[in-house]
Amino acid sequence: MTLFTKEGCDKCEYVKKSVDLKKLGVKVEILGPENPDSLAHLAWHELVSLAETQLPILVLDDSSSMTGAIHIKNYLTAFSKQQSAVS
Amino acid sequence: MGSVDLQVRPDRQALLSQETGIRGLSKGKGNETTDMALFVRTSSETLSDWNRQRIVDALLRETNIDQDTAERISREVEDQIITSKISLVTSPLVRELVDAKLIEYGLEEARKMHTRLGVPLYDVDQLILHPNRENANVPHGPEATNLTLAERIKKEYALLNVFSQEIGDAHMRGDLHLHDLGFIDRPYCSGQSLEYIKKFGLNLPNSLSMAKPAKHPEVLLAHMVKFAAALQSNFAGAIGWDAVNLFFAPYLEGLSDREVHQLAQMLIYEFSQQAVARGGQAIFTDINLYWEVPKHFENVLAIGPGGEFTGKTYAEYESQAQRFVWALFDVYREGDAVGRPFFFPKPLVHITEKFFQTPGHMDFLMHICDIAAEKGNTYFVFDRGNTAKVSECCRLSFKLEQSDLEDAKQPWRMRYCALQNVTLNLPRIAYQCGGDDTRLYAKISEVFNKAVQAHLEKKAFLERLLALGDNGPLALLTMNKDGSPYLRMHRVTNLIGMVGLNEMIQVHQGKELHESDDILKFGLKVIAYMKLLSDRMSQKYNMRFVLEQTPAESTAYRFAKLDLRDFSPRSGYVVKGDISRGEVYYSNSTYLNVGSVVNPIDRVRKEGLFHPLIEAGALTHLWLGEARPSKESLANFVIKTFRHSQNDQIAFSPEFTTCTDCGRTARGLADKCTYCGSTKIEGITRITGYFTKISSWNKGKLGELHDRFRNQRYFSENELPESRSEGEKPRLERLPKPAGLRI
Repeated sequence: MTLFTKEGCDKCEYVKKSVDLKKLGVKVEILGPENPDSLAHLAWHELVSLAETQLPILVLDDSSSMTGAIHIKNYLTAFSKQQSAVS
Repeated sequence: MGSVDLQVRPDRQALLSQETGIRGLSKGKGNETTDMALFVRTSSETLSDWNRQRIVDALLRETNIDQDTAERISREVEDQIITSKISLVTSPLVRELVDAKLIEYGLEEARKMHTRLGVPLYDVDQLILHPNRENANVPHGPEATNLTLAERIKKEYALLNVFSQEIGDAHMRGDLHLHDLGFIDRPYCSGQSLEYIKKFGLNLPNSLSMAKPAKHPEVLLAHMVKFAAALQSNFAGAIGWDAVNLFFAPYLEGLSDREVHQLAQMLIYEFSQQAVARGGQAIFTDINLYWEVPKHFENVLAIGPGGEFTGKTYAEYESQAQRFVWALFDVYREGDAVGRPFFFPKPLVHITEKFFQTPGHMDFLMHICDIAAEKGNTYFVFDRGNTAKVSECCRLSFKLEQSDLEDAKQPWRMRYCALQNVTLNLPRIAYQCGGDDTRLYAKISEVFNKAVQAHLEKKAFLERLLALGDNGPLALLTMNKDGSPYLRMHRVTNLIGMVGLNEMIQVHQGKELHESDDILKFGLKVIAYMKLLSDRMSQKYNMRFVLEQTPAESTAYRFAKLDLRDFSPRSGYVVKGDISRGEVYYSNSTYLNVGSVVNPIDRVRKEGLFHPLIEAGALTHLWLGEARPSKESLANFVIKTFRHSQNDQIAFSPEFTTCTDCGRTARGLADKCTYCGSTKIEGITRITGYFTKISSWNKGKLGELHDRFRNQRYFSENELPESRSEGEKPRLERLPKPAGLRI
């Protein structure tokens, strides 16, 4: 999974603080003027226009995506619990 | 010394020999040259006596050299003329001799300042006799020759006097392409609203009469056509009109369907038969059309006959606007008198979320898809979410920002302009970088910065012209009827285009864009890098630099030719087309190889991945060949594209053969007329963003035409079973998603 964020985005910070992204294997991409890799990655997932109005965006392994900080946090929290249960 | 020719009159020559004891023009040193029997043929078509002082005056006026040097050079040139025994001395020759002297003295800057701009006799002869194929929209004729000759001189002027040597050299080498150099004293293209002439009438600087706002639809159309012609004289490229059917709507109340059809027919014929304007060119006209009333115009007070507010909002004119747009497409379906598609005006239909919520949309979609299949005219412009655009040219779009949407409340204020277009030669960058990523991005930055510099230089030049106001060459663009000049410099965009991303990646990575996802991702990174560069430059210079998919009708050919010369043998492996016939080209902008066997859905999706990064407009072509898909299948495709891709705009391009003997038009490109067997035929299809006759295409485009992969079978094999009834939701299949990315 990949979480697209940017500097100065409060909602992005909220998700990052609420969930242990590293533990879940979520890669964080920070969009910014010096980061064409992240912008290209965003374009590959057809999310450039969406990112103009909504961040963070979480892209799942099946390439589907979700927005909304609380929605993402809840999803990742549930995913974390699922992972713990499996292990 | 101005433009002068020197000529010896035979009778005076004999007299001179007797009087001076010298042969012909040869005079001993010390003789007064003012007595020479030389006549100067001036540019004002008079004969003047030879006067060495004119050389001195010209050098002092035009260059920065001192009096003594000017005197010395003039004497030496005079001696050279006398001793050479030339019987006919022309003004260009005198200037060339002076320039040669300046070079001898190491005065290169002065030589540059003293340069004469012009065209060789041979070239003029060729131009008058043979068509110029740089732009397929310019027919061959005296007006076209005038245009081409003027363009040649203005191009030279631009490269010597507007752009710095660094930028001029970059263009000449083919590192980048400065578009429309022959129109250096104008902005690039323009998009506007009919509301301007509806409100203010046709009241243009330098016009011989002034017209009040139109009271009748036919008069409004006449104003529109004349204003378009006036704008064509002040812009290099396309003239686009926003929401044409909506803004005509207040004039249509009370008209019968027959009268509305007649008006639609007049509009299309007026613009398609304008081959009497600049250079014999049709005005490159785009009309933006909507089925729904766009959100930003819903509550705007409508302007009606006489320039008066009607007391209604545009939302209340939806049915009239729909009646007109339907009629326009009825006319497009008929084609011209012999059934050929109309080349102009190009109809750009905006597909929005509101489109799908507006009653009758499926019937209308079927209608315009029917025309797309039959004649190919329809362009489908996708405005997803809250995006609003004014589109024009081959694919250019002005995305409306918040300030523009504020302007929409007074739609006559909605006028947009791109000042210039500069295109980067991407494959050349790759040739120079040896597969090294770091060097590749550094080189992209270097060439990109030159493009930015070119924009700064052109902007400075145009600002000088605009500062001359009413008495300047761009008086029309300085007219101020609503508190702002017509051209609002603080709102203009500066376009940076690209040619040959596909070949750049092929050189750098060894594969083409369509060959693997990783290669496609690398291509996306290059364009993302350029997008971020344009954002940074916009911030740095407080100007709007935006990426555009350059139409590159001749640039893709020019770059390929130059690179074959300068980067062989490597370039020989990647340029597309037929090298042996000289029909070479690079893939346009971010396009996949036009010849690659990629199904239309994949092409629309993959090319569409780039589109959100290219703010100033992008388009995917779907080449139909001689196939005639059903309207249902195209409608399904359009909906899928809107819902499940990021593609900005699509167009379906059929091909036609029209017979000049029997006057009939058949589907597909053929060697002879399918009806009468005549070989006096003309092929017609889309060249870049518009239809035209193939006989006017340049060699590069002919090479591309040969290579195009026609989607002949796809649409017939993917027919929908039946057209659905109004209100029924279309059945959609989700486009396949790319495999998950792992960067």
